[in-house]
Amino acid sequence: MKNIPKLFGFLMILVSAALPVVIPEAYLYLIGLTYLFAILAISWDLMVGYTGQVNLGHTTFVGLGAYVAALLQTPLRMGIAIHPLAAIIIGGLAAALVGFFIGIITLRLRGYYFSLVTAILPLVFMQTVFVWRDVFGGEEGFSIAGYSLVDTTLSKYYFSLALLLISVAAMRWIVKSRIGLRFMAIRDSEELAESIGIDTTKYKVLAFVLSSFFAGIAGAAIVNYRYTVGPELYDVPLMLLIILSAVLGGLGTIYGPLIGAVVIYLAKNWWLRDLIEITSLPVNDEVVLYAVLIAIGILMPHGIFHELRERVGERVKH
Amino acid sequence: MIDVLLKIIVFGTVVGGIWGLVASGFSLIFGVSRILNFAHGAAFVCAAYVAILLSGSGFNVYLSILAGLAVSGLLGYLVYLLTRPVRKNEVMVIIVTLALALLIQQILLVNFGDKGISMLPLVQGFVELNNIKVTNMRIASFVLAVASLVSLDLMVSKTRIGKKIIATSQDSEAAMLTGIDVEKVLILVMVLSSILAGFAGILYAQIFAISPETSLKALIYAFAIVILGGLGSLRGSIVSSFIVGYILVLTITFLGARWSEFVMLLAIVTILVVRPTGLFGVEE
Repeated sequence: MKNIPKLFGFLMILVSAALPVVIPEAYLYLIGLTYLFAILAISWDLMVGYTGQVNLGHTTFVGLGAYVAALLQTPLRMGIAIHPLAAIIIGGLAAALVGFFIGIITLRLRGYYFSLVTAILPLVFMQTVFVWRDVFGGEEGFSIAGYSLVDTTLSKYYFSLALLLISVAAMRWIVKSRIGLRFMAIRDSEELAESIGIDTTKYKVLAFVLSSFFAGIAGAAIVNYRYTVGPELYDVPLMLLIILSAVLGGLGTIYGPLIGAVVIYLAKNWWLRDLIEITSLPVNDEVVLYAVLIAIGILMPHGIFHELRERVGERVKH
Repeated sequence: MIDVLLKIIVFGTVVGGIWGLVASGFSLIFGVSRILNFAHGAAFVCAAYVAILLSGSGFNVYLSILAGLAVSGLLGYLVYLLTRPVRKNEVMVIIVTLALALLIQQILLVNFGDKGISMLPLVQGFVELNNIKVTNMRIASFVLAVASLVSLDLMVSKTRIGKKIIATSQDSEAAMLTGIDVEKVLILVMVLSSILAGFAGILYAQIFAISPETSLKALIYAFAIVILGGLGSLRGSIVSSFIVGYILVLTITFLGARWSEFVMLLAIVTILVVRPTGLFGVEE
């Protein structure tokens, strides 16, 4: 019984690696982008699901990674053109650094302050795009076409699949390690964790830095994937999409947010808009997604992954 | 120079009064229930939209304003209902109220567009103060805002209901043991606070233009104010709303409106570094 999840995971990797053979290119492009989005949901879960601190500004780090990498990659902006891979890593490090500073200021206090400050962050960073328009390109953003790491749809697909697998493996390793146990101890009771000698501030900041790093990497990868960078990478709708995916999948599970991200991102970009057009209600796709989020938050706060495990677990016992 | 200074003081006071109405309710809700009500800005915008749309289509102005206030009160009750099943789960409380705020913002966007709209001021005309034109509506809204804040403070500090509110915010379980119906206190505070935010929105819409985006702005200013005043302290948020009002007008006068969010964040971060409990904060 114990090997079933492992076997299933292995099978899923095989299926996703073989997908390009059967799926047309247009869909392949969307699925590849979905993998990168999944990294965002999982890295959000690393902070929120494991330490219990609600980060409402994850897109700050997505956008930061994206803009930093894009500026370093294309010579048309700042006259610098480093190797895309180096640019992506620097994008991740820049996001981690900002996360570190925000973390040491807000995470030594009770969780409310962290949520309030992170809620404002994306809006502030979004303004930088408009204030320094000639650097960041304003609402249009700018293109890095010709200087990207990947150029064909097939290479893009495998690039994002590889990045997803590496990220999932790394984050799984983190949460399974002693560090991950400390994260969870803080989530379950900060006072108790402190009383057994865990430096709670240190581990909360560490979780936030790691989470921001992966968000930055994924942001930079998204730019390399679609060639354009724009302020919508900072914006609130993307943030809510990340939250919805993670909550739907189940917080504190890594795999839950992965499943949630695939379901939500494909639904949003594939058929949700058409469905709403058919019903001709005075709403848009975001209204529907927010309503779904409220419903899941209230009715199923532990997410689908948890429910599923519970149901399967019961059946095995009987 | 004197002119500019006077202008900043006058306009900052008006703006501070309006944001004070929003922040005091936000702070009161947090104090009583430990809920960060991200949907508080939605009450601000919804009340204004209802009042504008009704009065614009020919209804009596005062009745339209009452309807706007009623809608914001209902919104407060909705927040109470939605957060009740998840109140023990801090993560979900934040997510549910934030999702509600954005849901309402999107519904307004889809149906009424992102253009700013405003309401015909209840009082017309202006007075001249040292060459600065101050519309009577601004003066009226300042007077109304201060009157509401003073009566809210009196209600909390002097009446029996106020004692129940204070008791609940200090220790809700102990309050329950002394026979206070904590749920009723929560409902009262959420509805009342949302009505205050709605009232602020209606005043705001008579001075400035309001759009669905304003709800986020209102929320950010409320954050800055409650952190400066100390999370959960009512008097703290009333005083600091004026400080934030002056900072805001200063920012807009010298740097431009784009920078207001940035300056708010900077202010918050500075307070958190220097004095995390805020000016009047209570230790938890």
